[in-house]
Amino acid sequence: MKKIIRFGMITGGLILLGVVPHNVSAAPLKVVTTLSTFADLVKTIGGEDVVVSYVASPKFNPHFIEPKPSDVLKIKRADLFVHAGLDLELWRGPLLDAAGNREVMPGGSRELDLSRGISLLEVPDHPVSRAEGDIHIYGNPHYWLNPENAKVMAQAIAAKLSELDPQHTATYDERMRAWTRQLDQKVTEWENRMAPLRGRELVGYHNSWPYLMGFAGLTMRQYLEPKPGIPPTPKQVEFIEGYIRQNKISAIVQESFFPKDASEAVSRRTGAKVILLCQSVWEVPEATDYIAMVEYNVAQLIKGLKP
Amino acid sequence: MKTLFIFLIILVTLSLSAYAEEDSLKQEVEAMKATLGELRATVTSQSRTIEAQEKRIKELERTNAKVPQAPAPMLFATTPRSSASTTSLSALNPEIGVVGDVVASLSENSADTEGNDRLSLRELELVFGHPVDPYSRFDATISFSDSENPSLEEAYITHWGLPGGVKARLGRIRPKIGKASSLHRDSLDTVDDPLVVQKYFGTDGLSRTAAELSAFLPLPWEAVTHELTAGIMEGGVGESATLFGATRRRPSFYSHLKNFWDISDITNFELGATHLVGSKDADSGYEVNALGVDATLTHYVTPSNKLKIQGEAYFQHRDETDPTLGNNPLGFYTLVDYRLSPRFGVGGRFDYVELVDNPTTSPRDADTAYTGYVTLYQSEFTRWRAEYQHVEFAAGDNDERVFLQGTVAIGVHKHQLQ
Repeated sequence: MKKIIRFGMITGGLILLGVVPHNVSAAPLKVVTTLSTFADLVKTIGGEDVVVSYVASPKFNPHFIEPKPSDVLKIKRADLFVHAGLDLELWRGPLLDAAGNREVMPGGSRELDLSRGISLLEVPDHPVSRAEGDIHIYGNPHYWLNPENAKVMAQAIAAKLSELDPQHTATYDERMRAWTRQLDQKVTEWENRMAPLRGRELVGYHNSWPYLMGFAGLTMRQYLEPKPGIPPTPKQVEFIEGYIRQNKISAIVQESFFPKDASEAVSRRTGAKVILLCQSVWEVPEATDYIAMVEYNVAQLIKGLKP
Repeated sequence: MKTLFIFLIILVTLSLSAYAEEDSLKQEVEAMKATLGELRATVTSQSRTIEAQEKRIKELERTNAKVPQAPAPMLFATTPRSSASTTSLSALNPEIGVVGDVVASLSENSADTEGNDRLSLRELELVFGHPVDPYSRFDATISFSDSENPSLEEAYITHWGLPGGVKARLGRIRPKIGKASSLHRDSLDTVDDPLVVQKYFGTDGLSRTAAELSAFLPLPWEAVTHELTAGIMEGGVGESATLFGATRRRPSFYSHLKNFWDISDITNFELGATHLVGSKDADSGYEVNALGVDATLTHYVTPSNKLKIQGEAYFQHRDETDPTLGNNPLGFYTLVDYRLSPRFGVGGRFDYVELVDNPTTSPRDADTAYTGYVTLYQSEFTRWRAEYQHVEFAAGDNDERVFLQGTVAIGVHKHQLQ
């Protein structure tokens, strides 16, 4: 019996330590985002009125992150949780379950799903199954790669921050408008620079780019992955080589976190260039913020597609 | 003089009431200001939405007029749709998943036990789960096999609504004890559990009816996260295990402290400690104390190449009355797992476990095993594994085993975070 009492006293005491309430609503707002790109947008709009952290390192495939105990704790203490919605972050559900912060769970008052209000592409119009690979049942979730969508996201972030922190509404609004003006200028510049490339076709590794392709006026129909999420097979690589030659395609788009062996092999055999594009802010050293990330992608596309 | 005094009293009273009125007015003004602020936020937000939608319409009109649209694959619709349209009544159905685990094994062991020289559907798990209400979630795992009766592996409610962020789990659970024991077999890096888990907790780890509380410790440093878990579970242990006695009547107690270091974006280290108290027989005494230590280092060489080094050890203190049995058996394993590419992984494990019921006269002190394996990840939901194992039993004989394992998952397949 003494052993049980001693056991109970030690563990009970330590559990009580955990019960000590922490100040959830202390300013500045503690914002946790799933992706680094969202963290950058939140910081741009929230400025010094928010403290932002993110879960998925930009160096990894955002579909398959292994959240850590420190991420669970961050979500547990978050005043606002910002995510991509849809089925991009397959790890989001278990992470939220582990954290147990009800206010940031789907439908909670401190949750922001950035896909709301976005016009999604590639929404399946028929019943889908895993026979089609890692299919996205709500539509392609890489929507933030189109700067036009980033404006919608920035507005949603400003509105949510204002809702949670009405005292700073004017500041959030001002920062959002200033950033949108800056982005608008860049959008015009990017469109002009990419205008000569409109209608050109590229091949991809994974189907991450329909929104960027739509913005740039480019097309991408074939991928090194035979189905989404299935690594390249020799048969698919052979098919892609033939497709590149037949359609005179000059570039293959590669994500930084997927192995480059297949792209480089195809490149060697066909002469098509490998273009490394980034999906997330801080994924490559040049992508220091959202605008720099798009600038990097635009520059890479122009460099890869020019004769 | 008297009149002047009365006049002064009236003046003071009026002044006080005026001050009171002023305070009240101030409060009203403050409240109106707050309301105005909220209204302004709402109007601003709505104006922005309208502005964005108008801009979007113009943009789409302009794009459609000028730019040739990238034809989408035939698989998909090109009609944009809001994500809100995904909401439907089916969202209220439980998430359902099925995990199949087929194992073929060859062994020198001539006993006709589970898995010896046979191809078996070792486990078919039906997994259900869904939030119950804003405070809780229910999860259940029912396990079928071609060699055993169906069993309820897990069925528990997770409750989040406790003060201070404490989380509770109640029902049949895999208690948070060390690392391997709390995992389902389909989440293991090897075909089977480490020997120390099999011999002390159960062939398939430990699954008991329990009440468990867990909380993060609010310590000031941020680089390290500490999570403490404590629970009370029904007595007994899993299949063929010997840490505690078989009686379920007398409960056992456990606690686990997880310490997690985020060394960098690509490297992390976890150090855990486990304490268990239980009974080895049906009497009222708690004769068994066990202390466990686990350590896991994870390092991503590249985003596709992950190295994991893990070790776990258990030390027991038992009040054995039989002089031929040891009072302080111990066991451990070390595992190295390396993901070579998105498709392939390799690894090895060393096991050492001193058996609770191993007489001191046995030829060897412990069971030891050397395991090597290769894993082919066909996709995120299908995995194939070939494993070789050399076992040296405490009783003196040896065994060579070869396993081929196929694991598939369909439906919604969520794992708890490790």
